[in-house]
Amino acid sequence: MSYIIEVEDLWKRFPMRRDRPGFKEFFVNLPKFINRESNSYFWALKGISFKVERGECVGIIGKNGAGKSTLLSLILGNVYPTRGRVKVSEKIIPLLELGAGFHPDMTGRENILINGVLLSLTKNEVMERMENIIAFSEIGEFIDLPVRTYSTGMYLRIAFSVAIHMDPKLLLIDEILAVGDEAFQKKSKEALLRLIKGGVTTILVSHNLPAIKEICDRAIWLDEGRIREEGEPERVVEEYLRYSR
Amino acid sequence: MEIGFNVNSREFRRKRDLLWLLTKKEITLKYKRTFLGILWSLLNPILFAIVLFIAFKIFMRIQMENYIFFLLAALFPWNWFSASIIMSTGTLIGNVSLIKKVIFPRHFLIIATVLAQLVNLLFAMPIIVAFSYYYGEGPGINWLLIVPILIAIQFTVTIGICLMVSVINAYFRDMEYIIGVIITMLFWMTPVVYPLDIVPEAYRIYLILNPLTYLITAWRDIFMLNSTNWSNIIVSFGISLAFFLSGIFFFQRLGRRLDEVI
Repeated sequence: MSYIIEVEDLWKRFPMRRDRPGFKEFFVNLPKFINRESNSYFWALKGISFKVERGECVGIIGKNGAGKSTLLSLILGNVYPTRGRVKVSEKIIPLLELGAGFHPDMTGRENILINGVLLSLTKNEVMERMENIIAFSEIGEFIDLPVRTYSTGMYLRIAFSVAIHMDPKLLLIDEILAVGDEAFQKKSKEALLRLIKGGVTTILVSHNLPAIKEICDRAIWLDEGRIREEGEPERVVEEYLRYSR
Repeated sequence: MEIGFNVNSREFRRKRDLLWLLTKKEITLKYKRTFLGILWSLLNPILFAIVLFIAFKIFMRIQMENYIFFLLAALFPWNWFSASIIMSTGTLIGNVSLIKKVIFPRHFLIIATVLAQLVNLLFAMPIIVAFSYYYGEGPGINWLLIVPILIAIQFTVTIGICLMVSVINAYFRDMEYIIGVIITMLFWMTPVVYPLDIVPEAYRIYLILNPLTYLITAWRDIFMLNSTNWSNIIVSFGISLAFFLSGIFFFQRLGRRLDEVI
């Protein structure tokens, strides 16, 4: 069996300073900075290991601050592990924050282009999909106005629409199932489901427990940086609920 | 920080598109909601040159012909350098959501900033050519070779410094304030408003330690005299390369823990 993601004994800590130091403190405390151990740290992840197979959909649940988002960032690769390693053998399309990098003064169209290229496509490939992306987002004639004139819903719809038109092979999703109004939520959920059922490997972080049970093949319950429970979504979600109550 | 050399690969084309789009974004956004738009990139150095002209030529009576051309020939390249550094100081901390939520080569943000400022210099070329015709015999064929070389050297040194400054600023926001002072100091310690030989012999050594002295002198040589001092160019290339490599080193080292500090 081929694994798309292999996470091995993953640890991640963040420095806990009340304020980041300026130059003055830096020089005054130079020995302390060189000897890192004397600082205090917050351990976001404490030895996580799991593997994800091709085409699998894994749901990650847990309280706020359990390390879910940190785990996604580590898989994405823009956060470096303190210890352990993450191996990913597929191009990732992150849906961690919709519209990351959108600029308010650029038009919807311009933002789609730059976002599409940032995520995974060449300029020509984005241009080919432009009309589909715009159509899916239901933005209409607003597409050529700066996105600062958009409502929050419009902004999120367009960002979501770009992301799902990227031909993802591996999706990282951080709690974005609720986009826009009732009708668009249904539409976006269907689009995501189509991708997931179509064999896209997915890591889904969500507090929407019914959705986890419905969509995922497997669930992982993170608690204070450790895997508390793992397996059948139905069972893991029930355990999590019993514990949370 | 790997650079793909397979020109036909899709990933290479994507990276090229990305760099181009980021640069274009940088250029268009800068003047998006202004009335005069990109004209500001020319007006800024010209107005500054006029002020310097009044202060040094009229009030302090510096003895030099074509002083306004002398100023502009150095100010336009200088402006590319200083504006790039000042802009790139805030580049990383100004793109938090991109850096934290999307995976892409982060140094592209810095390269785009520097490239966007280069456009201003290119826009200024007609002005410099006009001055060259007015005060001298006009641009020679050697400009076609020397100007790109000088651009490449200045690009190299600027990128190096910008990489360092931007990543250090993510850790110590003091950088933003320090850099303003350093740029001002560097401006007066570089022969921009005065020629190098006006400086007393004893102090000239300090200016020669300044990497920009060679570069600005080389720009002025080509623009005003159509001449090239190759040893100047070679020295400034060496210095540029040193800055470039240390920039990459800093950026890679400090960039790894970027997520924890921005």
